[in-house]
Amino acid sequence: MKIETRLFLWGTPLFVLAGVVYGFMTDWTEPVGYLGMPLVGGLVAMIGAYLGLTARRIDARPEDDPNGNIEDAAGDQGVYAPWSWWPLAIAGSAAICFLGLAVGWWVFYIGFCVSVIALVGWVFEYSRGIHSH
Amino acid sequence: MAVVSTATAAANPTHQHVTVNRPNPVSVGTIVWLASELMFFAALFAMYFTVRQTMPAEEWAAQADKLNITFSTINTIVLVLSSFTCQWAVFKAEQFKPSRSGKLYQFWTWGMHEWLTMTYVMGAFFIGGQIFEYAELVEHGLTISSSAYGSVFYLTTGFHGLHVTGGLIAFLFVLGRSFAAKRFGHHEATTTIVTSYYWHFVDVVWIALFAVIYLLQ
Repeated sequence: MKIETRLFLWGTPLFVLAGVVYGFMTDWTEPVGYLGMPLVGGLVAMIGAYLGLTARRIDARPEDDPNGNIEDAAGDQGVYAPWSWWPLAIAGSAAICFLGLAVGWWVFYIGFCVSVIALVGWVFEYSRGIHSH
Repeated sequence: MAVVSTATAAANPTHQHVTVNRPNPVSVGTIVWLASELMFFAALFAMYFTVRQTMPAEEWAAQADKLNITFSTINTIVLVLSSFTCQWAVFKAEQFKPSRSGKLYQFWTWGMHEWLTMTYVMGAFFIGGQIFEYAELVEHGLTISSSAYGSVFYLTTGFHGLHVTGGLIAFLFVLGRSFAAKRFGHHEATTTIVTSYYWHFVDVVWIALFAVIYLLQ
């Protein structure tokens, strides 16, 4: 996973440097830039460091092999829900909640109740019923 | 697949044939989302420093002097320690050990449930402390609309407090999933691990907020 790690990690010094240059150009009077830019460096550093640490703990993937073939990467990419209505329910409840912030608190309370149902349904979908294990 | 590899490798239930050892997509997604959360807090920091720069210094200092440093330091220590208990819960989850094997007071035999409940209690202590602190500050006349300082103080610490509350709810879901499972497996361990990523992140953000708001002022 070298390429993914570098793609993110090499951005860190760039953004930190850009923040410092920006700071000098504005005489350190404009905090949004000199704080925001180095923290973008933090953003890419987080992802890059995670990928780098993960790469150490797993074997090289077929994508990492310059002579690899497409079919080498066949198989599961991870565990995904084949289909589920719950994300739609969560999105709907979030929409009601935000509508409540705009319209009035009574709408928000309804949205909150729907959120609880949607979240519990989503989190426990693969822990109960035919999926219980 | 080794027991500890849940953190890094995609889950491998028996009905599936994982031929390639890949990063766990749940962990990758959580880290990418947390990186975007970092930018959310970056905006709050930017707001804080911008107001600090534009507000008259003596006015700012008069407001900031109302903060109770001792109390918030104790609160901070509890939150930082909760990260350690949370990590212990992760170790137990990686060993697929959901519950304790000894008596309740024998904390060295604790499983994931006990360590996570401990983390929950400490997180709840932090939130309770923050509410107490808010009540005290409001009594001293510092509210969200009393001054620009009040606005940035309550917005930064308040949004962090909401994140901690979200983490507490997530802990309940982690425990719920674990209690619902007869066999504690990769599904439950993954949930524990990614929730711990979130908790550590929120903890680190608080350390930065504490340093800026309370120590640097």
